[in-house]
Amino acid sequence: MVAQAIFWIASAVAILGGVGVITLRQPINSVLSLVAVMLALSVLFLLLSAQFIFAVQIIVYAGAVMVLFLFVVALLGPGRERTRGGLRLHWSLSLLVALPFFGVLWAMLSGVRFRAPQKADLATFGSVQQIGIGLFTKYLFPFELTSILLLVAAVGAIYLSRGERAGHGAGLADEDQDDSA
Amino acid sequence: MPDYGQFQSAGGTLDTRWFLLVASILFVLGAIGVLVRRNPIVILVCIELMLNAVNLTLIAFSRQLNNLEGQLFALMTMVVAASEAVVGLAVLVDIFHFRDVEDVDELNELRG
Repeated sequence: MVAQAIFWIASAVAILGGVGVITLRQPINSVLSLVAVMLALSVLFLLLSAQFIFAVQIIVYAGAVMVLFLFVVALLGPGRERTRGGLRLHWSLSLLVALPFFGVLWAMLSGVRFRAPQKADLATFGSVQQIGIGLFTKYLFPFELTSILLLVAAVGAIYLSRGERAGHGAGLADEDQDDSA
Repeated sequence: MPDYGQFQSAGGTLDTRWFLLVASILFVLGAIGVLVRRNPIVILVCIELMLNAVNLTLIAFSRQLNNLEGQLFALMTMVVAASEAVVGLAVLVDIFHFRDVEDVDELNELRG
């Protein structure tokens, strides 16, 4: 069973990467683990016959977004996590929240009853053509809204990351600096 | 009654439940990371992990139901996640211009 073997390998990589994200001390290692998780997830998307999402996951997520994270980590320097007394308490309390949550998820998952699948042409399922038809006919309005969202995010990021806040643009940040000086 | 959770892939039969199990494990890992980690960048990374896990559930159900809308929704989630990462990282860079933050709990200026 080739598909099952691919599934188990990709899931093992994804879960190990996820563990790496939350346990590795250096932020750069966490980011690189997340890249591994995303590549493994892209393989899972391919198994689910989502070819277009597979490509988008690799190009946009593992490519663009994670490179942005790497840039920021490189820019801000290696912020090694401090080990303090409270950290063990944090871990135990978080596990106290997370494990019952996983139990709830697992209970719902084991009891789930699936609806009968619709008729669909599996040869073209998930192809660029099908996705495009969906995006530009029925879901045209949400698609246009995402363009506005991206514009707002871009303008906001440019505004926030301007280096000098000279002139009348001086805002909260400068006052902050004066207070600490 | 047939088991609708299973579907045929190119190299064999797969089960939707396996994908949902992997997605829930990844989501819980991300949630633990958000709760445990102190570095703000790593917290953003963990949020990305959770969003990816949700994408996996959407696409798994999309395949199980042979309904493309799950994949379209996953695309929307990716756009929102990218915007969130961009704005969050910009805010972090802005904060780091003025001070070195090792612990998100240090950012408590807005506390009343």
